[in-house]
Amino acid sequence: MKKAILALLPGLVLLAFWEWASGRLIREIYVSKPSAIAVRLYELFATGEILPHLVVTLQELVLGYLVGVLSGVVVGYWLGRSPRVAAVVEPYVMAFYGIPKIALAPLFIIWFGIGIGSKIALAGIMVFFLTFYNVYTGVRNVDREYANLALIMGAKERQLTRHVYLPAAAPFVLLGMRMAIPYSVIGVIVGEFASSTRGLGLFINQASSTYDPAGVFAGIVILLAFILVANIGAARLERRLLRWRPQAAAQSNDI
Amino acid sequence: MVAPEIAFENVSHSFATPAGPMPVIDDVSFEMARGTFTAVIGPSGCGKSTLLQMLAGLLKPSKGRVRQSGREIAGVNSTIGFIPQQSLLFPWYTLSQNVALPMVFKNVPAAEREERVRRILADVGLDGFADHYPHQLSGGMQKRGSIARTLVYRPDVILMDEPFGALDAQTRMVMQDDLQGLVARQGATVVLITHDITEAVLLADEVVVLSRRPARVIARVPIALARPRNVFEPFAVPGFDDAYGQVWQRFRAEVLA
Ligand SMILES: Nc1ncnc2c1ncn2[C@@H]1O[C@H](COP(=O)(O)OP(=O)(O)OP(=O)(O)O)[C@@H](O)[C@H]1O
Ligand SMILES: [Mg+2]
Repeated sequence: MKKAILALLPGLVLLAFWEWASGRLIREIYVSKPSAIAVRLYELFATGEILPHLVVTLQELVLGYLVGVLSGVVVGYWLGRSPRVAAVVEPYVMAFYGIPKIALAPLFIIWFGIGIGSKIALAGIMVFFLTFYNVYTGVRNVDREYANLALIMGAKERQLTRHVYLPAAAPFVLLGMRMAIPYSVIGVIVGEFASSTRGLGLFINQASSTYDPAGVFAGIVILLAFILVANIGAARLERRLLRWRPQAAAQSNDI
Repeated sequence: MVAPEIAFENVSHSFATPAGPMPVIDDVSFEMARGTFTAVIGPSGCGKSTLLQMLAGLLKPSKGRVRQSGREIAGVNSTIGFIPQQSLLFPWYTLSQNVALPMVFKNVPAAEREERVRRILADVGLDGFADHYPHQLSGGMQKRGSIARTLVYRPDVILMDEPFGALDAQTRMVMQDDLQGLVARQGATVVLITHDITEAVLLADEVVVLSRRPARVIARVPIALARPRNVFEPFAVPGFDDAYGQVWQRFRAEVLA
């Protein structure tokens, strides 16, 4: 409890300074101020103005994330277990990995339209590469001796996956899933900036072009809340699934 | 004539190293009849674990053949039980999950699995640790868990790579006695690798003595002591001194040279 208060303190000091400095050191039109943002947030929810944007963005985030994680796990696992295929494919994957995914936004708009499809695709591909890479590395690093021992004990291929490769790679899979959270948000928001009819990205964009800094910050606060909640979920999942690791008990931060 | 359960036929092996091929096994031949207990002793690093890897199908000899029931071993051998030199309990499973796993692979019903796990853990003195993860167990406890995990599914052939090395003297004697009883009841064929001549003589029907690297068979010493043998007081076992002396005579040249 004491630790929680201590952790909150710098944040509170920053907010207080922001509130004080706004209009004194910097013009409010650039940075708004916490009280104005809070009021704006309240208005947005009270009038329901933000809800259609929220629903759309949430959909895009969840779907994009799921598509990316699932495909990343499947392809990463498969390539990790097939070294010969991997040797051929790896250079291509790495080349694609190097492309700034944001540059694909205009292309995806053409392919998938200005609706949620293009945002799901953009978030999905960013999440895919991160998850893929972690799962691939994780599976390749599984100690051969464990797999051999399971085979000697009579494991079939499916059992080898379930009882050896997946649990052994789980720390990498979960790390990838966690790292991918902010990237899914980036993918969705960039997609919405590029072209959209609804969504938090669009809302932020509009607020900025109508000189409504409180609105911009309100949108950002909502995004931050998404990421925070997702991170807490990921940390919970990690602690449940990785109970067996010696360090698991020691690390307990949620964010 | 019945084919021996296990046969090494003129097996040689070299490992590739940066300095060129390093011969580790040099024309080793010996065989084991079904239901017999063979101990293999030899100086550290001579190639004992390498021989066992071949039996487990994890390594193909550069020359010669390893057969089981007349058939050449090709690919991972899932007809044997293997207790590796490192315990290799799966770190992501609790002790009881580890011990149950081979029975999961062999479709033993859950209720029977639980019962057998409970009994074997009591046998190896690990009841009360069923829900511990491997990293919460001491080295000796992990070793006992690893032994339990193999004995519990009663394979016909059991390969053990220095299973008792990491244990304290008392636990070791208890485990040796357990193993002796289990093997007698199951009629398993056992290959035991050890550094310990006393252990070899007390448990085995035959002791195979290997030379320093590259390993050759120096001697095969049959041990005809009556069973069961009192592992707690070896020197009270009639004929023990004599058998020990025979093995030591053949071994000393390799150790003391
Ligand atoms: N994969 C490998 N590649 C290269 N050399 C190896 C490999 N495995 C074992 N060796 C070498 O082969 C020799 C025999 O190894 P092995 O593990 O069979 O010895 P050991 O008789 O079991 O020894 P110990 O009693 O200490 O366990 C050693 O010198 C070792 O360095
Ligand atoms: Mg060894």
